[in-house]
Amino acid sequence: MSGPLTGVATAFRRELSTVVRTPGYGVLAVGLLVAVGGLLAAGGGGATGFVPAVVDLLLPTEALVPLVGVVLGYRALLSDGASGELAVIRTYPIRVGEYVAGVLLARTVALVAVVGVPYAAVGVGVWLTAAPDTGIFATHAGIDSPVLYLRFLAFVLLLGAAYVSLAAAVSALAASRRSAIALGVLALVAGVLGGDLLLLRSLGGGASPATIPGSIALTPNGAFRGLVFEHVIGVAFAPEGGFVSTGRAVGSLVGWTLLGAAVSGAVLAYGRRVDVLLERVRSRIAS
Amino acid sequence: MSDEAVAALSDVTRTYGGVPVLESVSLTVKPGVTAVVGPNGSGKSTLLGVLADATAPTAGEVRRPGATGPNPIGYLPQRVPFREGFTARETLAFYARLVGDDPHTALDRIGLGDAGDRRVEALSGGMRRLLGIAQAVLGDPSLVVLDEPASGLDPGMRERAFRAAADRADDDTAVVVSSHALDLVDDHADRVVVLRRGEVAAEGPLDRLLDEHDAADARELYRVVTGGTGALAGDDGEGPEGEDEGDREGDDGEGESDGDEPEPTVHVTGVSDR
Repeated sequence: MSGPLTGVATAFRRELSTVVRTPGYGVLAVGLLVAVGGLLAAGGGGATGFVPAVVDLLLPTEALVPLVGVVLGYRALLSDGASGELAVIRTYPIRVGEYVAGVLLARTVALVAVVGVPYAAVGVGVWLTAAPDTGIFATHAGIDSPVLYLRFLAFVLLLGAAYVSLAAAVSALAASRRSAIALGVLALVAGVLGGDLLLLRSLGGGASPATIPGSIALTPNGAFRGLVFEHVIGVAFAPEGGFVSTGRAVGSLVGWTLLGAAVSGAVLAYGRRVDVLLERVRSRIAS
Repeated sequence: MSDEAVAALSDVTRTYGGVPVLESVSLTVKPGVTAVVGPNGSGKSTLLGVLADATAPTAGEVRRPGATGPNPIGYLPQRVPFREGFTARETLAFYARLVGDDPHTALDRIGLGDAGDRRVEALSGGMRRLLGIAQAVLGDPSLVVLDEPASGLDPGMRERAFRAAADRADDDTAVVVSSHALDLVDDHADRVVVLRRGEVAAEGPLDRLLDEHDAADARELYRVVTGGTGALAGDDGEGPEGEDEGDREGDDGEGESDGDEPEPTVHVTGVSDR
């Protein structure tokens, strides 16, 4: 009958169908393409090569991709709970973990389409139009290359996946669409600005600048920025890296993704017990 | 019918905001059709939610010794909650895949075969309810919990929906329905639970309760036990309990509005197009 893979696959299929039938996500992808393409045209980096293009895109990407991730994830787990369908799904042989995994996988696939396609299209545009020739696949540092842009794209998707997962956790915690939006905006602002502000504060408090490569990797945006400097921009322009610990940065992005999934699962699995405990307290107060 | 309990509630209480909606309810659900009746706000939906494990009790114990198998519980909530954008067939296919059942057969069984390609949001309230019944019996669950299965259906279809529910009941299967349609309770229920203000006012085999309360039928029993008029009994339809019980999650779900549905283009015999 139903094994773990059946549960995950069934939830994934349904969620992906939902995403495909939501025209807003197509509009979002087109909007992102226009924004990224426009920023590149305005910055002029795309006309020179991949690395200058990445330099132009780095800062806006740190805001745009988390925003798209939150948009894709903030209702992922809320809609079934709010409509009451989750109560029906719970009566079927599908575990909370399977349901959450299916939903998150589908939303991550959606992220690959909504974010990956526009960024890939822009990369192809750079390849076709940039001068001097950018078709050389780098064999050593100092040469611009499509491989560097592919690395950038991979880091972009890792960053987006972390925000999709965190936004899904927000959607599991939220009691309504309004609270999901509010919590999503809060998570977005905290993720985009919070890490840097904390870092500045720690430096202002006397922390050694030598700690920056370690501490910058702790937040999703810091980890992403560090990886881009280390493996994209730094490869072309700097003989040595040292912007961030690669393992720590990748681990941070994967960790944030897993944390979001774990929180989502825990909220759905244990939320009702917490609700019952709160009700018991209210009953005692009322009596 | 077997006398083995499929489910049992022991001193179950459920509160919302500290206010009890169910209070110290003890109940044994046995194979056959059990009808839960009571005035609006008496706790019927909460009781059914607790039985279906959709609502956690704040006190007491729920056991389901007879609810076994790959899909032990089938549940139709008061508000049919299916995701919009999907057709009736796709909706059932999602659930059917989880239990290895056939969505096409399930649709045909409930008389919605011709409406299978219509989107959920384009179905009338009655059709959506039928779709909910089809969903609730997928995988042959041994405990079927249907909250207002006849709501929004015309008289012929109410009978059909109740009969479909009753047909599921056998020696191993308990069907629990809440309803205001007391004429159908008379026709199909083996046992009755009468709720009043969150407590069980009467419970047992229908025949025994009628004898004990010197009532001619379920409508009179309802009137005697609850002190109500039983005005809805046998009338042309039953409305969803608007205030019932606070176990609705979120604030942006769409409730059913049977009177405000798009005009269906597919007619299903016996289903109100209004």
